[in-house]
Amino acid sequence: MKIKKILLLFVALLFLSNTFAQDAILIQDKAKEKAWYEPDYAKMQFAGNLGVLSVGVGYQLFDKVLYTELLYGYVPVSISKANEIHLISIKNTFPLYRKKIGNYTVSPIAGFTGSLETGNNSFLVLPDKYPKGYYVPSAIHFTLFIGVLVHKDFGISKRIKGIDFYYELGTVETYLWSAITSKEIGLNAIFSTAIGVNLYF
Amino acid sequence: MNFLKITVLFAITITFMNCDNLFEYSVYEASVKTAQKNTTAKNLQLIKEIQIESSDFKFAVVTDSHIFYTNFNTVLDDINKNEDISFVIFGGDLAEQGLLKEYELFYGLMENLQKPYLTVIGNHDYSSNGGEIYMKMFGDYNYAFEFNENKFIFFDDIVWESKKNPDFDWLSKELSSNNLFKNVFVIAHIPPFGDQFGPEMEQKYQSLMQANNVPLSIHGHTHSFLYENFYGDAVNYLTVPAPNKAPSYAIVSVQNESFEIELIKL
Repeated sequence: MKIKKILLLFVALLFLSNTFAQDAILIQDKAKEKAWYEPDYAKMQFAGNLGVLSVGVGYQLFDKVLYTELLYGYVPVSISKANEIHLISIKNTFPLYRKKIGNYTVSPIAGFTGSLETGNNSFLVLPDKYPKGYYVPSAIHFTLFIGVLVHKDFGISKRIKGIDFYYELGTVETYLWSAITSKEIGLNAIFSTAIGVNLYF
Repeated sequence: MNFLKITVLFAITITFMNCDNLFEYSVYEASVKTAQKNTTAKNLQLIKEIQIESSDFKFAVVTDSHIFYTNFNTVLDDINKNEDISFVIFGGDLAEQGLLKEYELFYGLMENLQKPYLTVIGNHDYSSNGGEIYMKMFGDYNYAFEFNENKFIFFDDIVWESKKNPDFDWLSKELSSNNLFKNVFVIAHIPPFGDQFGPEMEQKYQSLMQANNVPLSIHGHTHSFLYENFYGDAVNYLTVPAPNKAPSYAIVSVQNESFEIELIKL
């Protein structure tokens, strides 16, 4: 019974996201409809606690209110000075408003990312040797960021239909907590920058 | 349009000028800045340069700062005001999740301390890549130094997180010269009666202290104050509280072959 309900909910969500995706496409690209699971853009980011370089695909959801991305990030040993770091991240960016300036659209952005990493002595489930609650799981971290995104359309007939450049200022949840709770920790100590590009097709 | 351009440019410039780290790639990085490396060796050099005329001296013990930065800083300020304190011992757990950022924040706060300081690694400091970060930022996990005819032995006794057993052979060797010193102090993060020691290791540690006439074994980890000859022998065990609820630390006043412990709560 419970499974049935969950399945029903899943189907409903699927249907909903399908409608949303189609709506978005209708506005963005009237010429050709995309299947709901086809990503709207490919992404590459430098830094921002998601790896030296992170790459992935993104979706513009809810009529471009939310950009959701699935990313894989990597830090080589030469930079991590420890093990290789592999990060799987889900990044959510909200363009706060859009302003057209000539051929460009400029948006202030804000958002958050959830990242998973398990190869550097981090864990999701506390190993058995520890008493219950000895440590909080260390394999998941969240980043928070604000920034600015510049979009340029190339036209729907082009192979690459548009491009975004963005620049962000971000931090990690535990860093932010330390800065909030301790007057000795300045924002300059916890914020760092990231740059990236989205390619629409 | 101009307003927007200027705002964005201004924001970017401010950022570039002010971020301690312009780019960060992962919370798990272990890339310690060159200026922050070999901190133990640098402080041992500073301790060597201390001129002291009498056999009496004082040192402070601070421990388990974790992310209690404000209280920890209050402790450091108080130690700075006390001219009698020659140096500071940190009893481990400078980090919460063993992250480079936490090490850097600790390092930054310790720059306000106007006295040399020496650290022992704590269990939290081993988390994630913390063990490697500690090695680079501070140095060896086990080390010892001499000051004014006293010996200080820093002993890594972390079991679960370090995935190794404490090096009791090394400790035994360092302790064997105890008759050359007025006092031998051992500093280890977890007390032998703490959670990570099995009965065998506890027995081993206790008998080593007793056999080598260690008058004081100094610890953190429990976040609470304890000062007693725990096993009923001649060895006193001290656990220093964390600065979590109130800024607190201990001062050890050495007078020739004896000493006194004072708990400071601010």
